[in-house]
Parts: sequence; C-alpha cells; structure tokens
Amino acid sequence: MSKSHHVEKATGVGDPQCFKGEAPAAKFKVGDKVRIRNLPDIFYTRSQMYLREAEATVVKLVYESPPAEDEAWDNTDSPEWFYSLLFKQTDLWPDYPKKFETDTLETELSERWLEGI
Amino acid sequence: MSNSDNHDHKAAPMVDEISDFEALEVAVRELCIEKGLFTQDDHNEWTEYMHTLGPLPAARLVAKAWLDDDYKQLCIDDPVKASLEVGINWITSMPSNFGTPSDYCNPRILVDTPTLKHVVVCTLCSCYPRPILGQSPEWYRTPNYRRRLVRWPRQVLSEFGLQLPEDVEIRVADSNQKTRYVVMPVRPEGTDGWSEDQLTEIVTRDCLIGVAQPRADRKADDKRPIIRAVHAYGH
Repeated sequence: MSKSHHVEKATGVGDPQCFKGEAPAAKFKVGDKVRIRNLPDIFYTRSQMYLREAEATVVKLVYESPPAEDEAWDNTDSPEWFYSLLFKQTDLWPDYPKKFETDTLETELSERWLEGI
Repeated sequence: MSNSDNHDHKAAPMVDEISDFEALEVAVRELCIEKGLFTQDDHNEWTEYMHTLGPLPAARLVAKAWLDDDYKQLCIDDPVKASLEVGINWITSMPSNFGTPSDYCNPRILVDTPTLKHVVVCTLCSCYPRPILGQSPEWYRTPNYRRRLVRWPRQVLSEFGLQLPEDVEIRVADSNQKTRYVVMPVRPEGTDGWSEDQLTEIVTRDCLIGVAQPRADRKADDKRPIIRAVHAYGH
C-alpha cells in the first residue's frame, strides 16, 4: 500500500480497520499468560502505569494498528497486533479486598508491551 | 457598595477563567482554519452534528438484542454491522467519513450476565462511544471518576446507587486505545412481553456506561419528583 496520510487511508474504511493485514504475525493467542513490560515512555504512551509488570491473560486479539507511541508522531510505518487483556483486580492493587477477588479489569495493549510467562 | 452606587460597572464575565486545554483547543483550531485544513463553517457544522448525537441508538441496540438472540450474537461478533440496524454507521458517518471527528471506529459490546457486570472508564482521557452514545456526561470526564473507578469500582458504583452482591464479578473496561465500549445490561425482571420500543425506554445512558442497571419502573424520560429544599431553621 502506498504511503498516504492517515486521514485519506481511513476515509470510508475506518480506523483501526485501515491497518488490517499490516502487522507481523501475532506472537500471542487467546488464553496466553503475559506480563506487562515496564518500557520507558518519555514522550507519549497509552499504556497505563498501574499495569506495568502485572500479569494478565489474553482474551481477544482486537485489531492491528500503529502503537500509540508511534502514532502520536504521525508514524504509521509499523503496525502491530493489539490484545485485550484481563487482569485480576487483586493483582493490580495491593489493598483491593480479598473478599472481591473475582473482580477484574480489561484493557488493551500493543504487542511490544507484552512478554510471555 | 450597593448596586445603585455603581452605575458604570461592567457585567462580570460569564466564565471567570478558561483552562489551559480550552486555550490550546482554540489555538489549534484557529491555526487549522488559517492553514486551510477546514473552515469556520466546517467547524460549526461538525460541532452542531456532534450535538445531534445521543444514547437512543445504543438503547435500541440493547433492546433488539434482548428480543433476538441472533442479533445479540451479531452485536458481539460485528458491532459495526449491528449498529447499522439502529441507524449508526461508524465508518462513513458525517462529517469526516472515518468515524465522528477525532474518534475511532472499533466498537465493542460488553455483555453482562447475572454474575458479571461491566462498567466503562477511560483513565487516560475520556474516550467514549460518541457515534452511538453522543457526548459523554461531565462526570465521566472528571479525574475523580477516572482515577477512582479502576481502583475502587464497588465504592464508586455505590455512589451511583448501584450496590452489587459479592458473587457478582465487576469487570472494569479501561478504554485506553481504539476500542469504544458499550455495556449491554441484563434484561430486568418485570419486562416479559414488552415491545422493542418499551424496552428501549428503560435503557438509560448510565445503563450503557455500566453505572446503573435498567429497571422496569424507570424510563429515561420519566419526570423526576421535585424535592423541595429543606430549611432547617424554618424559613
């Protein structure tokens, strides 16, 4: 696909739909256990601090897209897979009541933020 | 100083101060207009368009799904296609033709069950499924809601009047990337035999965000009782 501005590319197709098929093969699959990496994010990120180094389960491969850290600078050259991840609340917050240990949190991160465990 | 002593006073400004972000928005908007990316007329048209959007299409989507299991499955598998049936085109809607301005087109319907309750927040900003829910309520954008819901969901929900039993799993969806979440609550008791229109009326905006449960006895446009102020010292 020729390099065109993000807006032209998304028109009539949708974003993130316009990046479909552009990411390398997904490294993780539904059910995999992963740990969230604590990467530096000097300029921009959409990976929440409260998730760093926590463990999660992949529940869905959601779409392919340039990661937010690139897209913030209009760099759409390297789309990657995004995963919907399920966390246990008691893993995220030390003071979360054990009584509610079935409570969960779901959110999305791109592949660079995940390492297999 | 009484009012009559001050004949030449100027009216106080309507808004005392604007935030840094409002100033930034005006600056960027004016630069875009100067640069010719869009015109002031375009901006007016988009703004007015945004304010025509509301939660009714999502309420109807939920009501249809309650009545039709095939449609419910479509809502799970292909929410973009399911939204077309309630008149919302995430992909080519006005005015940008790639979703409403500055937003993404990857909706996802979170289906509640009797033992699983979803609630949506955007901790990083205020991402919201605007094409199908309209503008977000003011509280949804506040740092207070955003920082507390992820960490103390049960306490925050109880502030909304929603107290959930221990055996119900609460699942917070933090809308941090390109997915826009809509909650499909469980159909309440007392609605047997209801039509799609009747069911649509009880699915309020707050039910679609997940901070409330639909009730057979409460419609989105019900008249609220007027509760008069209580004056403890007998005014």
